[in-house]
Amino acid sequence: MKSHGDLLIIGAGLAGLMAGWQAAAQGMKVRVVAKGWGATHWLSGCVDVLGYYPLDNARPVTNPAGTLPHLIAAQPQHPYALVGPQKLAAALAALQTLCAEADYPLHGSLDHNWLLPSAVGTFRPTCLAPETMIAGDLSHPASMLIVGFRQLRDFYPNLVADNLSQQGIPAGYVTLDLPSLQKRGFNTPVTLARMFEDTLFRSEVVAKLQPLVRDVERVGFPAVLGLHDARTVKEALEARLRRPVFEIPSLTPSIAGIRLHNILLAAIKQHGGQVFDGMEALAADSDAGRITAVYTEASARRRAHRYDHYLLATGGILGGGLRTDYQGQIREVVFDLPVSAPAGRLNWFRRDFMDREGHPIYQSGLQVDAQFRPVAANGTHQAVYQNLYAAGTTLAHCEVIRERSFEGVALATGYAAIEALRSA
Amino acid sequence: MTHRNVWEAETTLPPADHKPAELTLDYCIKCNICVTACPVAAVTDLFPGPKYEAPQAGRFRQADQATPDHSVDYCSGCRVCNMVCPTGVRIAEINARARVPLVAQGHVQPLTRLRNNMIARSELLGQLGQPLAPLANGVLGNKSARWLMEKAMGIAPAAPLPKFSRQKFSSWLKRHPRPGNATRKVVYFHGCSTEYYEPRVGKAAIHVLEANGFEVLVPEQNCCGLPLLSNGEFPAATSYHANNVRKLVDYVKQGYVIVGTSTSCTLTLKEEAPELLDYYTDDARLVAANTFDFNEFLLLLYESGELQVDGLRPIPMTLPYHPPCQYRAHRIGRPAVELLALIPELTIVESEAACCGIAGTYGFKKEKYDIAMAVGQPLFEFVQQANAPLAVCDSETCRWQITHGSGIPAVHPVELLAAAYGFPVEAPLAGLV
Repeated sequence: MKSHGDLLIIGAGLAGLMAGWQAAAQGMKVRVVAKGWGATHWLSGCVDVLGYYPLDNARPVTNPAGTLPHLIAAQPQHPYALVGPQKLAAALAALQTLCAEADYPLHGSLDHNWLLPSAVGTFRPTCLAPETMIAGDLSHPASMLIVGFRQLRDFYPNLVADNLSQQGIPAGYVTLDLPSLQKRGFNTPVTLARMFEDTLFRSEVVAKLQPLVRDVERVGFPAVLGLHDARTVKEALEARLRRPVFEIPSLTPSIAGIRLHNILLAAIKQHGGQVFDGMEALAADSDAGRITAVYTEASARRRAHRYDHYLLATGGILGGGLRTDYQGQIREVVFDLPVSAPAGRLNWFRRDFMDREGHPIYQSGLQVDAQFRPVAANGTHQAVYQNLYAAGTTLAHCEVIRERSFEGVALATGYAAIEALRSA
Repeated sequence: MTHRNVWEAETTLPPADHKPAELTLDYCIKCNICVTACPVAAVTDLFPGPKYEAPQAGRFRQADQATPDHSVDYCSGCRVCNMVCPTGVRIAEINARARVPLVAQGHVQPLTRLRNNMIARSELLGQLGQPLAPLANGVLGNKSARWLMEKAMGIAPAAPLPKFSRQKFSSWLKRHPRPGNATRKVVYFHGCSTEYYEPRVGKAAIHVLEANGFEVLVPEQNCCGLPLLSNGEFPAATSYHANNVRKLVDYVKQGYVIVGTSTSCTLTLKEEAPELLDYYTDDARLVAANTFDFNEFLLLLYESGELQVDGLRPIPMTLPYHPPCQYRAHRIGRPAVELLALIPELTIVESEAACCGIAGTYGFKKEKYDIAMAVGQPLFEFVQQANAPLAVCDSETCRWQITHGSGIPAVHPVELLAAAYGFPVEAPLAGLV
């Protein structure tokens, strides 16, 4: 049978898309298959690299580049230790260049964490933030008005404003009740994002806000300021309101995350790569230590994909790459690779739901060698398959939510895995 | 494992104990990704989005209970929601099945139901209209007649109803000389559109298969029943599907596979009819497992080196291609794009549009026509910007809608393949290659 190409990537979160883009841009024939859309639509649209370290430290990391060497020294199996600071920086720089070319710049650097407001009014450390969010910078106490919409039930401006005020940021709020939204029975972040691209709707918003913003220095919106042309939307609002405007990421679907998704998808396709959704990877064939085919679920049958290399980027327990059951088993869903996890269900969790130490199950995942190939469980650290790589939050020994490292781990390992397989 | 034929490796029987679509709603994590991707919710709030009816309201209903929220009628059934769902909820199927109690328990106006039944019976329409093709086409092209059809039946006056062909595909086939050098056999499912409206697609398919050494068997067959499934008329759809299974299964048992150029028909035989109707008899599963989209089948041949690709004639054109929702729902990637890439000098520009809007009979309906046109708008613009004399698309109703919305005629990929093999082609391809 003919080979379909150089690289099959399973999973279209940030790791899979980053890897797909890098591989396609370097001339590889790439196909990305995904069960559906995922992480990009759930995340904030910022790039968290390292928000908290050590993990029980209540104060956020101010300088990820300065803190990373400590993490790497203490946790030599952490994905960041495998990637190394240089490739992490290169991955972020690549994404920043791509987003700038798409007229959607991501601002920041590894030397500095932004502190931006979260949807509940807490201080959220993040490394790179889109231009639409950075005016929310909480390192200075400029006053702000948080704007919500009566018909958007996924954002509570009073909650944001009250919590910020209690933490020293003077913040007020307003809930707009706009005729254009009253007409619609349902309003989701997507409906609003599409409406914000319309000049007439923006005028309606501005007319209501103008009398309310006189005494505030900046204006915060839920992250719904346009799906395709957010920078224009933000600048148009700023010009009319005459003060900086920023977005606050809220509940799913994340509009800012979808923007990143769209930019990466376009980059892959521009370089001739394929991205298919609705294709759940089910199983694989192997021969003499190499994967020879991956099968995806299809109508009435399964579809074979035969590639020279395979990259697994299916995510962890939330992403669906790891499946847990009531018997305490944890399985990698496509290749049934050995998973590093606490033995027995009783050891998955600590007693307290909000335990400061976290829960051991969240450290579970795949162990990989220096080339990002999943390794056998027998401690020999030998790759299970010579041509199978893994990247993203399916990897073990990190706790991306508590560390606030989700996007950083995904992007860096996706980037580094392609470098590794190209030099193999 | 060795297989007698290349396609056997891809043939697995769907399980007999298939789970009803409704049970997948427990996988829903309320992430709203389906609402984000829904092309209908993007242009109207008459349909709030796939999540609201299927996994959300669905969990409060018994299977045979009618939903009090009639907005599910505005789901076009395009299945984009299924494709983007990260957790595997069969959203579109739950929505399709939610319409059934609405219809069965009389929640649809009698006149609307009559209209739905008329436009959903494509085989009957073909049998009635095609013999009177010039007259019927005259009526369908007549403004007053269409005005009357709107007032009396609720069929949108501008909707792209197809023209009946002067000659049926089956009549052409009877006089078509069979090549004597066939080395293998395959069954062709033409569907109603090829039989009554666009025989040129079937002719191209026969030519391409014969050029690859196949004797093409065309058994008696019925409408696949998809239009009835989309309109919640499940009992009628069941009898169509049962008839097709009965007429096709013996061929499958003899070792032949079924290929079809109408991508929604093949999807129905493979998956939609069994799943929506809970029709998992042994024979239905055999037919499903052995039915292939035409390009899916050709690509399998190509991958195993069994497709004749030497000496394909160049087609020096750059053409826009739209993979229909029903085609993407096969979850087989883009076989048409990969096959057309084999034709020298032909460049295909792929559409990223979610849907053309027509969704079978959806866009023919008076109350849904404007929605269908708004859904299709980005695609129409894409086709127009390609500045080509033709568009390419695998589904007949999508082709009609593309032409209606963009003014550009549209062909099935197999017509380009037939041209590359050197067979005579008909309008709109004739004269261009």
